[in-house]
Amino acid sequence: MAQRRNHYFVLTAVFLLGWPWLTDEKFLHYVGVLICITAIAAASLHLIIRTGHVSLGHAAFMAAGAYVSVLTVMQLGLPWPVGLIAGTAAAALLAAIVGPIVLRLTGKYFVLVTFLFGEMVRMALVVTPALTGGANGIFDVPPPWPFLLSNRAYYYFALVFAVFGVGLCARLLTCEYGRAIDAIRERERLAECSGVPVIRVKVTVFVIACALAGMAGSLQAHFIRYVGPESFSIVQSLNLVVMNVIGGMTSLVGALIGTVFMVTLPELLRGYVNLQQILFGFILFATMAFLPGGIIELGRRLRGFLRARWAGAA
Amino acid sequence: MTRLGPAESTVLNVTILGQVVVNGIGLAAIYILVALGFTLLFGIMRVVNFAHGEFAMLGAFALYHLMKDVDWPWLVALPVGVIGVAAASMVLEWLVFRWFYQRMFESMIGLLGLNMMLMFGAVLIWDVYERNIPAAFTDVLILGDIILPVDRLVVVFIALAALAGFYLFIRHTRAGLAMRATAADVEIAESQGVDTRRTYKIAFFVAILLAALAGALWGQIYAVSPFLGERPLMMAFIVVILGGMGSIPGAALGGVILGFTESFVGTFYGAAASAFLSFAVVILLLIVRPWGILGTPET
Amino acid sequence: MTLLAVEGLAKSFGGLQAVADLSFDVGEHEILGIIGPNGAGKTTAVNLVSGVIAPSAGRVTLADHNVTGLPPHVLVERGLVRTFQATNVYVAQTVRENLLRGAFRQIYPGLLPALLGTAAARAARATAERHVDEVMQWLDLARVADQVASNLPYGFQKVLGMAIGLAARPRLIMLDEPAAGLSAEETDHVRDTIRMVRARGIAVAVIDHNMRFISDLCDRVLVMAQGRELARGLPHEVLRNAAVIEAYLGKRYAQARH
Repeated sequence: MAQRRNHYFVLTAVFLLGWPWLTDEKFLHYVGVLICITAIAAASLHLIIRTGHVSLGHAAFMAAGAYVSVLTVMQLGLPWPVGLIAGTAAAALLAAIVGPIVLRLTGKYFVLVTFLFGEMVRMALVVTPALTGGANGIFDVPPPWPFLLSNRAYYYFALVFAVFGVGLCARLLTCEYGRAIDAIRERERLAECSGVPVIRVKVTVFVIACALAGMAGSLQAHFIRYVGPESFSIVQSLNLVVMNVIGGMTSLVGALIGTVFMVTLPELLRGYVNLQQILFGFILFATMAFLPGGIIELGRRLRGFLRARWAGAA
Repeated sequence: MTRLGPAESTVLNVTILGQVVVNGIGLAAIYILVALGFTLLFGIMRVVNFAHGEFAMLGAFALYHLMKDVDWPWLVALPVGVIGVAAASMVLEWLVFRWFYQRMFESMIGLLGLNMMLMFGAVLIWDVYERNIPAAFTDVLILGDIILPVDRLVVVFIALAALAGFYLFIRHTRAGLAMRATAADVEIAESQGVDTRRTYKIAFFVAILLAALAGALWGQIYAVSPFLGERPLMMAFIVVILGGMGSIPGAALGGVILGFTESFVGTFYGAAASAFLSFAVVILLLIVRPWGILGTPET
Repeated sequence: MTLLAVEGLAKSFGGLQAVADLSFDVGEHEILGIIGPNGAGKTTAVNLVSGVIAPSAGRVTLADHNVTGLPPHVLVERGLVRTFQATNVYVAQTVRENLLRGAFRQIYPGLLPALLGTAAARAARATAERHVDEVMQWLDLARVADQVASNLPYGFQKVLGMAIGLAARPRLIMLDEPAAGLSAEETDHVRDTIRMVRARGIAVAVIDHNMRFISDLCDRVLVMAQGRELARGLPHEVLRNAAVIEAYLGKRYAQARH
């Protein structure tokens, strides 16, 4: 079992490192970068979902990271690494303030409030044009590093951060801390009466997750070279949720599969924005109504079915 | 005697005050209509209807088309349009909603999906541009210094009448009793012989009816577009957070607070300030009393 | 030596006084019984002591430390664990995993050590796993260690609930209706298990409404009715107390007995 896992690992690593050389198509490299950045955001949202809370405002923390990073670089003239750290710290700080309040709420109120929070952040950005460029946003954001001349180079740059971000989430979930996270999600009261400091864990996870979102926001803003209130609106928050729902909500790998799906599809369906959103909406509905375990559950059932067929045929 | 500054003299201006009050009542009434349907669906079926705003949007479009294209007078177009939307939505009840009854968590995300489908489906059917419902009444009522547009007064009147009708329905009919019983405890209600499937359908119809009506009235005040539903949805959230999810008096109280806050603060300090104030109040309440003013703490 | 001391504990919900002026203590090697008819406030009392609900008044002292109103996880750290009336287990996990989760206090080395997998983290894990295996042996759960909890029969799930509590290495465990819904044979088994727990140096407070079960098992008994203490003392004393009989069986029976 562990051997098979190692094989998958090596194969994935080889693929991730090698595929950009199979093509010179700049557009594909661009999509690759987006997948790396979005994977960080989706994986960090996955952390929050694993504690039992679905946040509809995750993109707001990406926005915090993005704007602070951009302003640090463009207004204060500091190099991008400082901007990245500032953005990540800003998102973490925001989460540390908001977290203890909203994480005490039960599931449904948490969802409503994070939805409202996302809207608040967007509005705050729109009504402060002097600082944030208002509804127009900020153009000509400098790239992190002038030497990143091609999309392919940028891909490897983003890949490093993705491996770090997603890796941190994976490690957090598989170590003892992850055991506590799952216990909280499955039976919060029992976990608390077994010695798990529930609120403290939830807030810690929330802060780490939102910090990673801030990091992803900074990466995105400096890659696309633009940031605006609509870059990280409720639509993006919902997309991140869809990625997790597709994956079944209890599997990090599932969330990553969902990410690849959700990032590539719009690029293929360019110009059909409305159809995309209708499709995503349908996926949300159908998954929650009929297959809450998502793609992972689908895969499990399929394997079980095939195994039974094989055994029957043999 | 000290001179009054511009702000004070504005507040003392009876004309503006009168309009702000009527506006406040109108907004409160519309918000209550939206929140009532939302809280009804939660209280009875344990469903968090993230698509609730879209039914308001459909109500507005129905009124718009019946008046503009079919050329019916407002007095006919409003009830027909609203009831039509509620009736047509029963298809959605069968296709979408019934999979989520008593499954709160799945309902939230699943109906979020429905919200996206309806909103962007509307964009495909209509387009993104705003339309205006032709004004039903152009007169104004003048009481001394107070100038009140009649169409606003009518909106207030209709909304209040609907609320009164709802109250009578829920308190004095068998269906209303069945709904209250189911909301209190589904299993006990079933064992007492309540037909839950039928009760759910009635509750759904009523909830959508209220939402569509709210949307039609909203469309008369503001403009009609596929994105009309966003704000009523957020208002519904705020109202039920303020008043407690599942509580009908809570929805009434929350709607009144929100409506008047918006009217007063919005008129004197602008829409953004009003929105921020509403959000701030919500956050403060969540810190102090998360189950809402009239809600009950969950064990 | 007194391990747990409760003084003047009270809780009111709005107008309803669920518990009033409740005082009792549990000694280090003792099995205390808390008994009373349904609705007497027994479970509320356990919730108040274990930190699940904050008391309106009163004081709870554990090993000379004031723990009044502290959250449950702190009480677990200090050595007080409670179980639940309705079975409360991680239904989708194996028995072993259930216990490992119960052993959180032991197994969790801190966030950074857990992330980095330090030697200390691995040592904590090894110790906790050993202890979990021990608990499974005591409670005869070893043979179902790899079974998923939802597949276990009701009686086993009850025992599993107790095992999860014991996995936290408490000094005192409060068992809320540990024999509820069990057959006579299973009830005997629970009784023997509780005696074994005490033999291993863990004090026990057993809450139940079954007089026979409590009087066979406990050293001392506290009787509650309507949120208050009704009587206390040795089991056979309490069994003959007229007020107690009245509370359970009604006035006429109490009078008939005299």
